[in-house]
Amino acid sequence: MIKKFTDFLKLTPNDPDESRRTKLLHTLMLGMSLLALLVVILSATAILLNFSKLEDVALLIYGCVAFIVMNGLIFLLSKWSAKTAAWVFLLIINLVLAASDTPDKVGNGSSMFVFAIPIATAALLLSPASSFVFAALSSAIVVVLGINGNFVPNYPTLVGFFVLALVSWLSAQGLQNALKELRATNANLDRLVQERTKELAKALSRERIEAGRSKAILESIADGVIVFDIHGKAIEINPAIVRLLELPFEQVHGTTIDELTRSKALDSRNRGILAGLLSSTGQQLTSYRVLWERKTLSVSSSQVFDTEGTRMGTVAVFRDFTREAEVEKMKNTFLAMVSHELRTPLNAILGYAEMLKETIYGPINEKQARTTERIMSNSRRLLDIVSDLLDQAQMEAGKLTIMARPFKPVELLDNVHGVMDKIAADKDLALTSGLDPELPEWLTGDQARLQQILINLINNSIKFTKTGSVHFRAYRRDKKRWALEVRDTGIGIPADEIALVFESFHQVDSTTSREHGGFGLGLSIVKQLANLMGGEVNVSSQLEKGSAFTVVLPMVVSRRRITK
Amino acid sequence: MNETAFVIEDDEDLSTIFTEALQSAGYQVERLLDGAAARQRLSETAPHLVLLDMHLPHVSGADLLTGIRSDERFARTLVVIATADARLGEEYRSVADFVLIKPISFVQLRDLTQRLHKPPAAA
Repeated sequence: MIKKFTDFLKLTPNDPDESRRTKLLHTLMLGMSLLALLVVILSATAILLNFSKLEDVALLIYGCVAFIVMNGLIFLLSKWSAKTAAWVFLLIINLVLAASDTPDKVGNGSSMFVFAIPIATAALLLSPASSFVFAALSSAIVVVLGINGNFVPNYPTLVGFFVLALVSWLSAQGLQNALKELRATNANLDRLVQERTKELAKALSRERIEAGRSKAILESIADGVIVFDIHGKAIEINPAIVRLLELPFEQVHGTTIDELTRSKALDSRNRGILAGLLSSTGQQLTSYRVLWERKTLSVSSSQVFDTEGTRMGTVAVFRDFTREAEVEKMKNTFLAMVSHELRTPLNAILGYAEMLKETIYGPINEKQARTTERIMSNSRRLLDIVSDLLDQAQMEAGKLTIMARPFKPVELLDNVHGVMDKIAADKDLALTSGLDPELPEWLTGDQARLQQILINLINNSIKFTKTGSVHFRAYRRDKKRWALEVRDTGIGIPADEIALVFESFHQVDSTTSREHGGFGLGLSIVKQLANLMGGEVNVSSQLEKGSAFTVVLPMVVSRRRITK
Repeated sequence: MNETAFVIEDDEDLSTIFTEALQSAGYQVERLLDGAAARQRLSETAPHLVLLDMHLPHVSGADLLTGIRSDERFARTLVVIATADARLGEEYRSVADFVLIKPISFVQLRDLTQRLHKPPAAA
């Protein structure tokens, strides 16, 4: 603090104490000169009015004029060095005062008090300690006068000089310190104000820059953005949204969620999607595809919260997804077409082989019959793959629908046996099944798709099981759910691969597809079908011991039993 | 005299297989390879059974089906639909007597149509 203050003093070109003393010196000199001038004027007036004679007051007048001239000289001196000027001024005052009366009065009489003037003034005009110099000087003058005039100086008064010097020193010192502190406080305040002002200016410009930057980003991104306030009114939009929605700026700006979702560009289904998305208060970022006239938009919305966690509104981002949607549609159409075009010739191969086997064109020998069967089983495998591809394409296009009807679980298991028994037997595997008596006789579901799930899972198990068995069963899991399970004694799945087996075109390693055949679509389809039915698939597996796949489904008991 | 059946299918191989299957099942089969020819023949005669592919050139299977179902002459005609599209098949299940989803097995078609022979009126 003190160091700071001294630093501050050093930095200031004018010592404030010095300037204060110079001012004081000038004021004193001016005052005294005016007094002297007044004395001269009064004396001159007295002479003119014949109150006194020139001889009587001549000395006084000369003295006063000399004093005024001296003050003028000291004033000039103070321009060069204020301190020297002050010393000279006080020394002269001191000497003048010493000569102002008879030596005995000055040394031991009524005029002794005049020495108090330089002693007290020195503390203010020079440094506080200089009072002592003038106390000593005054004492010395009194002593010298006493020796010269053969009288005893008033010693106690000399002690009084020093007491006065002490008091002056203390008060001047106090004043100086108080002023110093005041100045320090002021300087501190000034600095604080400056700092705050600077900070404020900085913050303001930073905010302006940031706001400008955000605005620039908002204006230049390709995605359309609308910010809705808590009442669902659009308070901020960017140019991209205007282009995307093909609406005039004024119509988008200031629109409301209600107004936007009522737009003629939306059909009733997409209206529902958009309204649900924009009015959802969930905190998770969700995105949906919305058809806006001929455009496909991917719309995502999320809630905006302030730093205190209060909801401020919703921000919705619209991305043009038209091109992607077209490509996707083309891909799916292509896949569906290819699948269809592949199925027809395969159907023909299968049909002709069957005709040969059924000896429509005459008897065939045993070798020919076996070959025909190989043709048939390979064609069926190829057909399965093509069917999987078609299913996959339909599921990706969202076209595959689940048609729930009442069915009997026992029939489902029987049908699966009918399709899979021969395939299992070909690999010398036992295919067994079980039906939980707790399961209702009738359930509601898509029997064909449930059958597909079981066939895909069993196919997968047979593919990866060299010896042992494959067991499948339907059972009641709890009050609200039932499950289909397929358990094998196959090679198992490594723990880190379990999560990946449901991915399209994934097989644990590329050698397995050569060894075990298939496209890696079967399990992916199982999972997607299960999800479409509102269920899920679980896997547990131990390497070299086997795997178990469980499809857990919501149980919808058919009312057929009651109505029938 | 054998019951008559029309096989309306544009793919020659499938047409051959379906024809053989129906012949094995005891029908007298007439092959029709496009929608226009099928419509022509249907205007002349009402067979006992029609095996109808839904995906045909010139006149679609759906049009033929509508024509058959709205004409009194075909009141006794059985319609078996053959389609590769399972979803489309579901839609016709109420209109047709049977819907078969391709691939259609020779044995499956033969056995099915064999059961469809009209039993003697007395029985």
